[in-house]
Amino acid sequence: MNTLRLYFKSIGMLLKSHLQYPSSFIMQTLAQLVMEGSEMMVVILIVDRFERLKGWSGGNLYFFFGVMSVSFYLTELFGRGITGDFPMMVRTGRLDTFLVRPRGVLTQVLCAGTDPRRITCIAVGIVSLIIGSGISGISWSFAKVLVLAESISMSCLLILGLFMIEAIFSIFSVKSVELVNAITYGGRSACQYPIDIYPLPLRALFTVIAPFALTMHVPAAWIMDKPLYGWPAWTAFVTPLSGAVVFVVMSVFFHLAMRHYRSTGS
Amino acid sequence: MSYIEVNNLKKDFIVKKKREKGRLLREKETVHALKGVSFSVDKGELVGYIGPNGAGKSTTVKVLSGILTPDGGEVNVGGIVPWNERKKHVKNIGVVFGQRSQLWWDVPIIDSYSLLKDIYRIPQGDYESRLKELTNALQLDSIMRTPLRLLSLGQRMRAELCGSLLHRPELLFLDEPTIGLDAVSKLSLRDFLKWENREYGTTIMLTTHDMEDIAALCSRVMVLGHGQKLFDGRLGDLLEKYDTVRNVSVRYDGDANGLRLPEGVKYKQTEEGLELSYDPSRLPTSQLLGILQEAGNIRELTLQPENTDHLIAAMYKELDL
Amino acid sequence: MSYFTVFKMRLRMELQYRGAMIGGILCQMFFGLILVALYRALYAGKPQSVPIENVAIYVWLQQAFFRMMLASDSELVDKIRSGDISYDLCRPVNMYGFYYARIMAQKLMGSLMRAVPMLVMAFVLPRGWGVSLPESGLGLLAAVPALFLGLLCVCALENITVAFTMITLDPRGMQGLLNLLMLTLSGNLLPLTLFPESWQKIITFFPYAQLLDAPIRLYTGEYAPGDAFRVYVLQSFWVVVLIGLGVSMWNANRKRMIVQGG
Repeated sequence: MNTLRLYFKSIGMLLKSHLQYPSSFIMQTLAQLVMEGSEMMVVILIVDRFERLKGWSGGNLYFFFGVMSVSFYLTELFGRGITGDFPMMVRTGRLDTFLVRPRGVLTQVLCAGTDPRRITCIAVGIVSLIIGSGISGISWSFAKVLVLAESISMSCLLILGLFMIEAIFSIFSVKSVELVNAITYGGRSACQYPIDIYPLPLRALFTVIAPFALTMHVPAAWIMDKPLYGWPAWTAFVTPLSGAVVFVVMSVFFHLAMRHYRSTGS
Repeated sequence: MSYIEVNNLKKDFIVKKKREKGRLLREKETVHALKGVSFSVDKGELVGYIGPNGAGKSTTVKVLSGILTPDGGEVNVGGIVPWNERKKHVKNIGVVFGQRSQLWWDVPIIDSYSLLKDIYRIPQGDYESRLKELTNALQLDSIMRTPLRLLSLGQRMRAELCGSLLHRPELLFLDEPTIGLDAVSKLSLRDFLKWENREYGTTIMLTTHDMEDIAALCSRVMVLGHGQKLFDGRLGDLLEKYDTVRNVSVRYDGDANGLRLPEGVKYKQTEEGLELSYDPSRLPTSQLLGILQEAGNIRELTLQPENTDHLIAAMYKELDL
Repeated sequence: MSYFTVFKMRLRMELQYRGAMIGGILCQMFFGLILVALYRALYAGKPQSVPIENVAIYVWLQQAFFRMMLASDSELVDKIRSGDISYDLCRPVNMYGFYYARIMAQKLMGSLMRAVPMLVMAFVLPRGWGVSLPESGLGLLAAVPALFLGLLCVCALENITVAFTMITLDPRGMQGLLNLLMLTLSGNLLPLTLFPESWQKIITFFPYAQLLDAPIRLYTGEYAPGDAFRVYVLQSFWVVVLIGLGVSMWNANRKRMIVQGG
């Protein structure tokens, strides 16, 4: 519990420092709103022109978009240390200062970054979720709320795990931004639509390696009372846990990589 | 067993060379940063660690503070192998990096300290008393509520020191702490370090390029070059070993025509008087003074050691560093 | 420094970062595949008047020349943030021309070196998934000058963004907004051919549509080769307007800086 308190205290302090430049902060937050807004506009235009996508209605598409948007930007909001700042921490030697403190390195990296500008992106995602839920006529129950919360939090862990690939590469001072972007931002672009529209290799990629299908699409399908790709209903509760698995596996790799950290300078 | 035991410490770095024309892959080259360094430090010692850039000073400090895992050798600090039990080890140490900050850039330094309290799990009472004491000793009162980015270099270094001592470490590493500081800041920093060492018996290891730091603070100095330890002992001994030239200036009442200087002594007549330089190993100082005294009535005599920076440069040169 | 050297230096730099380039190509290819798969699935449910083959070509050309649209000159932006730009502005040389050439070199070299290998790979993909040659050779011929005019347009646009950056205290927000406008209205997020028809009438007149949308439509035959002349005129109109606007903004900035004393 102590670690969690430390995390929120750190994040609070970073927020304070962001707000030291209020006009810049507001401007950038608005820019984020427009950005995510136009992403949503694309979905609206697609629904307007095509009406449905395979077996999925427009409402279903908004719901999928909302889940992805909320998960992705929650991760960027709270996990900025991994999703954005880590390569710089290595380059500037800030990672050294974490290593001389009696706390986990990953904990401190996460404590050292937040991106509060993403709050507007999350808001867009929530709006999309609500619209999607309304149009799809989802009848909410306690179990469904629980599964949605599980789906979003596990997706966050998954996304964090995927961004850790880049962190691991940068420990060895290998630049990998573009390649890792393919799976992180690429994963976001691809998996904000239902997974069954893609050909097998892409489906396999997003089920086995970057299992967005398991953390997001299976539970979302269950919430919208859609068939679960032929799987029994209880899987909707279990498959999202794969996000935690990815995160744990990547954390192990991260710590193994830290053994070979060479530090900078001199 | 001493507090710090370092035995045959080795660390290699693989450096990628620039890609040559026509080659697909870059060639790699192994640089031996540390080639088997051994030393031990007792509790409460104040040790200076010097050497030219790239000698392996920072690498040693990084291994000792648990940042780097070495490629060979043994290190034991207070019974702990730093890289094996990193968290347990770093509870007992404080590190100040001269050029990178450990505090938070945009927030008042008091907020940084409060966060450090949580990071090190310092009990509230201990934290308050320690902070009060350090605030007084480092004169931080007036800047406690100022964000780090608005502080001057000297203030920043004092703030950093406070941050790295809040948890009462037994061992403090300082990586070029006086770099870029003005004379007043340097002096007050040195006073503080002496105080900390005396008051709490904190073991301090200090890397620096500033010989005055060493002269003012350190009872013991280690010289590192090419990844090897080249000297370990008192600063005075080091100077004696390489201090081949001394300067004396003399002023006589009236003329000193009877002065006959032995061979090997260089001299220069200036308006202030006579400037002599000699090699004390060939001509003992007492003998020279005798000769000077016989020549006339001395009004003023100053014996000056050669500037330490020059000495170190001479030593590096002699050791081919 | 002559404008030619700027291009040569840029080429050398691009070659130095081959690793990043290959990574970028693979990433862009991946995005292309995902988008084509999405549009194919959408078309399977409800075919549109624009054939799917053309949508695939649209996606691939957008991905291939993606680099052309990204704000490229981070060095210049750093210069503005640090205030060093004022030295440049006070030089007697025409700095707009100098930076225009620099930006163009970056965009041309950066995008060509990525576009060529990407398009080769996209040609290998089956029809309807990848890129195929246009029905008439004239379309290809008509697209090349349009692409060049589009390049002139995008460089002028970026110069305006840079001029904006110099005015506002915080460049990131403004830059983000302008980049986003570009991505949306140039057809990168969604092919402009799939926007509602009534919107298309307006959007295709905007400068952003001149960069890639116009050349792509000439290539796929959506604009008949006979329309090429009309397209060129519109593009040239925007080139002149945007350069004019850019130059006047740069001059205004320059005056302001000189008044402030650097």
